[in-house]
Amino acid sequence: MNGKTMHWVNRLAVLGLVVGLVAGLAAAGSAQSVGGQAYSTYVNTPLGSSSQSPLAVLPAVSGTDGAEADAEGSALNVAGALSSDFLNSVTSGEIGSAEAGAQSTSSAASVNILNGLITADEVVANVMSSAGQSGAFSNADGSTFTNLTVAGVPVTSGDAAVAPNTQQSLPGVGYVVLNEQIPTGDGVTSSGLTVNMIHVYLQSMTGGTVDPLTGQVIGGIPTTTGEIIVGSATSSVGP
Amino acid sequence: MMREHGTLIVWPSLLAAGLLAAACTDQPNVNMAPKRPSFWFTPPPAQCVTGKWTGGGRIDPTGNRAASNYDNVDEPAGGQPAAPDPAPYMTGKVTFGFNVFLGQDANGNCIVTKGEIEVNGHALKLAWHVSIHDGVDAYDGRPVYANEFSDGHRGGVCVVVGIPDMTARVNPGQGREGVQFEVCDNDRGGRQNTRSDAMRWRTAGHGDTGMTYLTGGNIVEHGS
Repeated sequence: MNGKTMHWVNRLAVLGLVVGLVAGLAAAGSAQSVGGQAYSTYVNTPLGSSSQSPLAVLPAVSGTDGAEADAEGSALNVAGALSSDFLNSVTSGEIGSAEAGAQSTSSAASVNILNGLITADEVVANVMSSAGQSGAFSNADGSTFTNLTVAGVPVTSGDAAVAPNTQQSLPGVGYVVLNEQIPTGDGVTSSGLTVNMIHVYLQSMTGGTVDPLTGQVIGGIPTTTGEIIVGSATSSVGP
Repeated sequence: MMREHGTLIVWPSLLAAGLLAAACTDQPNVNMAPKRPSFWFTPPPAQCVTGKWTGGGRIDPTGNRAASNYDNVDEPAGGQPAAPDPAPYMTGKVTFGFNVFLGQDANGNCIVTKGEIEVNGHALKLAWHVSIHDGVDAYDGRPVYANEFSDGHRGGVCVVVGIPDMTARVNPGQGREGVQFEVCDNDRGGRQNTRSDAMRWRTAGHGDTGMTYLTGGNIVEHGS
C-alpha cells in the first residue's frame, strides 16, 4: 500500500463521514411539515348535497410545535342520500427534533346510505403518519366498521376491519369502495394516507344505445354523477 | 505508518460525529417520580422536564385487565390509582386528539399553559372537550395542573393532565364534568408503533377507561 492510495482512503473516509452526517442529521431532524384533516360525511348527489362535515383541519405547525383541531356534529340528514349521527372529527400533528407526525380520526354512527342500500351502526376512520430516523410511514390501524351491510348482505359482524380498497358493485347505482386508502409520499422523507371508509360512486351510462328487446343500455361509458363519503381521515408528513 | 495515520484521522472524526449526533437526538431528561397516592385528590409536584405533547387515535377499553390491550405496566407507574376510579370501567370505542404545552407557575407547580383535548366516547355517544388558554381551564377558570414521569417501559414517559381534575364540556347538551387525561409515549425517538403508546380517560360521572394501549394513532412527546 503506498502513500497515494492511503491519501484516497483518507479522502473517502472523510467524504463518507460527511455524507453520513448530512444524511443522519437530515433523518434526525425529521419532517419539516405535517398535515391532517378529518370529516365524517360528504354528499354530492342529484338528491342533495352536503359539504365535508364536521370538518377538522390541522393548523400550520412549525418549529418544534404541535396543534390539534376538532369538530363535532350531532346529526346529518340529506333526504334519500345519507343519514347519520354522533359525528366527530379530530386531527393533530407535531414536529419534534427527532420525529414528526400527524394523526386524524373521524366517525359517524347510525349510518344509512341511499335508503338502506348501505348501513352501519358505526364507522371509524383512523390514520397516522410519522417520520423520523427510521424513515417515514403511515397506517390506518383502528379503522373499522360496526355491523356493516351492503345491499342487505352483512359485511362485518360486530366491530371489524375490511381489506383496503374493497370494491363492491351496486347494480343500477354504481359501486362502493370500502376502506378506500390513498397513499402519498416516498416512504423515506415523506408519507401520507387518506382513508375513506365508505365511498359510494354514483354512475350512469352515457353514449350507449338501448336494446329494443331488453330495454338495457348496450355499450356506453359509465360516468360518475355523484359521490357519498362516510368516515374520511388524512394525515401526512413531509420534508 | 500510513495506515496508522489514516486511522488517526478517521477516529477523531467519528468521535466528533458521534458527539454531534448524540447532541441532536431528542432524549429529554425525565425524572422518576416517587410513588404517590391518587392524583385525583393529591396536588402535583413540579415536574415539567419536557414541554410539549401531541397525539390522537383510538383505544378500545374492555375493563378486563387480562386483555392484551390493557396497559398494566403504565397504569400504576406515576402513582395513579388502579382503575376503575371512579367506577365503572368506561368501555367500547374511544377516539381522541390532543395538544398540550407544559410550563411552571410562580410556585414551581407544573401546569398546562395551553392545550386542547377532545375525547369521544362512542358507546355513550358523548364528546368531551377541554380547552386551556393562558394556563386556565376555559370551562371553570382554574389552572390545570399536570405531572410527568417515566413509566414502566424502557424510555417511556407519561403525562397526567388535570390534577386533581379539570373541567370538560360534554356534548350533546353543553354539560360540564370533572375529568383527567393521561397518555404515555413508549416509543420515543424510534420507529413509531401504534400499539405501544397508551391513554387513560377518567370522568367524574361516566367512569374510567383504565390505561389502554392504542388501537391506532400515536402519542408523541416532542420536547420543549
